[in-house]
Amino acid sequence: MNNKLMNFYKSHKPYSQFILFGIILSLLPLLVSLGLVKYSLLTTVASILIYSIVALGLNLLLGYSGLISLGTAGFMGMGTYLTAFITADLGLPFELALIISVAVPMVIGVLTGLVSLRIEGYYLAIATLAISEILRKVFVEFDFITNGFSGKQAQYPKLLGFLQLDRNGTYILIVFFLILVMIMMHNLVNSHTGRALSTMRGSEAAASAMGINIYRHRLLSFAIAVSFSALGGVLYMHFVKYTYPNAWILMLSLNILAVIVIGGIRSISGTILGAFIVFGVPDLILKRLPIIGSIDGAAYIFNGLLIILVILFYPNGLINMRFDIQKNFNKLFRRGEDNNG
Amino acid sequence: MDIFVQILLNSLETGGIYALAALGIILIFRTSVTTNFAQGSISMFSAFLATIVLIRTGISPISAAIVGMIFALIIGVLVDFFVISRAQKVNPVSKQIITLGLIMIFLGLAPMLFGTDPLQFPRFVYGSYSFFGATISYNAIFNIVVGLALMGVLFFALQKTKWGLSVRATASNEVVARMMGIPTASVTRASWAIAAALGTLSALMLAPTNSVNLSMMDTVQVTALLACILGGFTSFYGAVIAAYLIGFASNLLSFYVSSIWSDSILYLLILTTILFKPTGLFGKKVIKKV
Amino acid sequence: MDNMPDKVLKVENLSIAFGGLKAVDNLSFDINEGEIFGLIGPNGAGKTTVFNCITQFYKPDNGDIYFRTNTGEVENLVGKKTHEIIGKGLVRTFQNIELIRELTVVENVMVGAHIEFKSSLFNQFFRLKKTRQEENRMRKRAEEILDHMGLSSIKDMLVAGQPYGVLKKIELARALMLNPKLIILDEPAAGLNDSETLSLVNIIKEIKTERNCSILLIEHDMKFVNGLCDRICAINFGKLLAIGTPGEIQENEQVQIAYLGKEDY
Repeated sequence: MNNKLMNFYKSHKPYSQFILFGIILSLLPLLVSLGLVKYSLLTTVASILIYSIVALGLNLLLGYSGLISLGTAGFMGMGTYLTAFITADLGLPFELALIISVAVPMVIGVLTGLVSLRIEGYYLAIATLAISEILRKVFVEFDFITNGFSGKQAQYPKLLGFLQLDRNGTYILIVFFLILVMIMMHNLVNSHTGRALSTMRGSEAAASAMGINIYRHRLLSFAIAVSFSALGGVLYMHFVKYTYPNAWILMLSLNILAVIVIGGIRSISGTILGAFIVFGVPDLILKRLPIIGSIDGAAYIFNGLLIILVILFYPNGLINMRFDIQKNFNKLFRRGEDNNG
Repeated sequence: MDIFVQILLNSLETGGIYALAALGIILIFRTSVTTNFAQGSISMFSAFLATIVLIRTGISPISAAIVGMIFALIIGVLVDFFVISRAQKVNPVSKQIITLGLIMIFLGLAPMLFGTDPLQFPRFVYGSYSFFGATISYNAIFNIVVGLALMGVLFFALQKTKWGLSVRATASNEVVARMMGIPTASVTRASWAIAAALGTLSALMLAPTNSVNLSMMDTVQVTALLACILGGFTSFYGAVIAAYLIGFASNLLSFYVSSIWSDSILYLLILTTILFKPTGLFGKKVIKKV
Repeated sequence: MDNMPDKVLKVENLSIAFGGLKAVDNLSFDINEGEIFGLIGPNGAGKTTVFNCITQFYKPDNGDIYFRTNTGEVENLVGKKTHEIIGKGLVRTFQNIELIRELTVVENVMVGAHIEFKSSLFNQFFRLKKTRQEENRMRKRAEEILDHMGLSSIKDMLVAGQPYGVLKKIELARALMLNPKLIILDEPAAGLNDSETLSLVNIIKEIKTERNCSILLIEHDMKFVNGLCDRICAINFGKLLAIGTPGEIQENEQVQIAYLGKEDY
């Protein structure tokens, strides 16, 4: 029974579910203009969605290849600075900025991976940690591009050279990219590369025996993860319109890691859930609470504790809680029947 | 020449600071197969505790350091008791993530308990000494000597005592060690405690130049991890030697090349070195049995 | 350069030592095309090490491993990377069943044909025509093999939770996806009950006749080996004891000594 449930969950969810989700998300600006929800909610949700995109890439890396990257924030930051430089300083079109701002970090990512993936898996974590520190230095020191500590600004994107988006339009763009990424991830996982990654994670021996080049596949999943981080950075830059070096610190990388660990590894909906928990709960709930709200760092403690609790007691993430709830519900229901019968 | 001597002397101090932190990481790695990313955060936290004690009670820095290290020992035991010991069946990657979660907890707890302003922790000893045209502070000598002494004691314990034997046995093969009656759970707990203490001392040695603040151990953390990679995760001594080498290279680069980019260049150099020697300078190649 | 007509595998002077201990010592044997060949020896004799050397999971210290690939050419496998071996037409199974628990049965089997999937990453991201076609084709192939083994009913269930005997069959199905020239089975009968073992014997015999495939079995269950193999190579302490038909091996004095009191045949 359990097997069938898991199988149903795993089977090909039609794209329609993702698109429906996108449509629902797109209604938010409408709700704001109707005065039903606060203006700031749009900002919170937009950042949650952006972090979801980044987290989905990281999910491929951690969930399917079993590798940790601590450079997520650095690569996101790189994406912000590049796109700001290209659109604001160079005046080039948004689409070009998008491509370059994703490609350049990806190349740096590949170079990092080329070195560190030849060795044990944990080297990637340490190497990306080092790279992230170097990048933060770069953000500060290369002030002719980055403006150093003052930070850099950009504008809402202008699509196809003429369609100037406003805040709501940019939000819709973010939703669009999120749904796109969700579909892409879903497809990848259900194709031969996705299976190869799963095999690699489950048994390196089996993977090699089946002709899977482990090194190459690790590099591939890392490159994809970095690209999605950079994509998140681009979207962030054009929505928040401001970036600065200390936005791209280790804590952010850890928070994004928390998203997939808490929400559900190898699960697309789990990642979304995780993003709402890690980035939503602090903003929406914790900060409103009487005493805890005014304490800096409560969010970190909350997320850190949650990571540890989930790993120890709920390794598959909170998204799978509903199976257990259903199981327990069935048990209760059946026991009730027995008593009556 | 005198500049070189100055650099050498500075390196012994920096190297010592890195070595203490690296030793803690290696100890934990070899006994519980976990890369402890939280080493820096726990050290920072204990350093804050030591500083608060110093400020409130006015005891000497050396006493405060000892108090801080005792706090660290307790924290290490608590972390192992509440978290690590329950994570034995967890896969290595998840164990690493647990330590990342620990970072978040300590990084969140610290500002809550200690505020966000940096605190000052004074030197242990004052005064300086001229030496072949270079000046070295008594504090630096103190740090170098204490660092080396502590490491010496640890290595002696590892090689000559029963506890050390238990550690090496656990590090070699935890399951077999356990089956042979070695209390591997205690070994792990002690490792976390000692690692925390070593890291705290490292932080407090760093404190006079850096102030005690939330990100004080960031660079040391990365460098300590890289020292473990460079030295080879399979060797206790390797990480320590690598740490001194890094300290030396860091100071050299800082003076002769660029003080801003010295660390970045260093990181890149280490990563490229690994390309040629994946098991580190002193590590041994491990063949996986299929 | 063909130094082994009618043979699919020729192991020559294979040696490997682990830290001073010689695990395999100057071992030579060959396997004829279409043969079921058994490699036997008591526990610790070095069978799995030989096996890992052939499949390049270990790099031998000495010796050559000539294999007639699926193009008909003879190649020396020594020095090849582990993941290059399957492409030559040599597949292995694992003693400890290395299947992926989070994938379904049919997905696990499809992994066996990984190297035949050619669609690009972009194609896969958007599930374009080439990907869809490949997936359908491979899935059909996997389903056929599973059907042949009587496993159709579970093909879309997760591998996790399947009984041991079934897992062994699934691994075998995975190994058949690329129609290999040589399959190496690592202790295939280990952990199976009598009826499962019988089923396995039939499947292996079928593979030999229907697929024109040679089989190398590593085993220490003598009954299983005797009933199935055309020829057997017995080793002990990494050294060759004897090669011959099951009858010849049974009569061999050295083999009897090595096995004295350990197995009954």
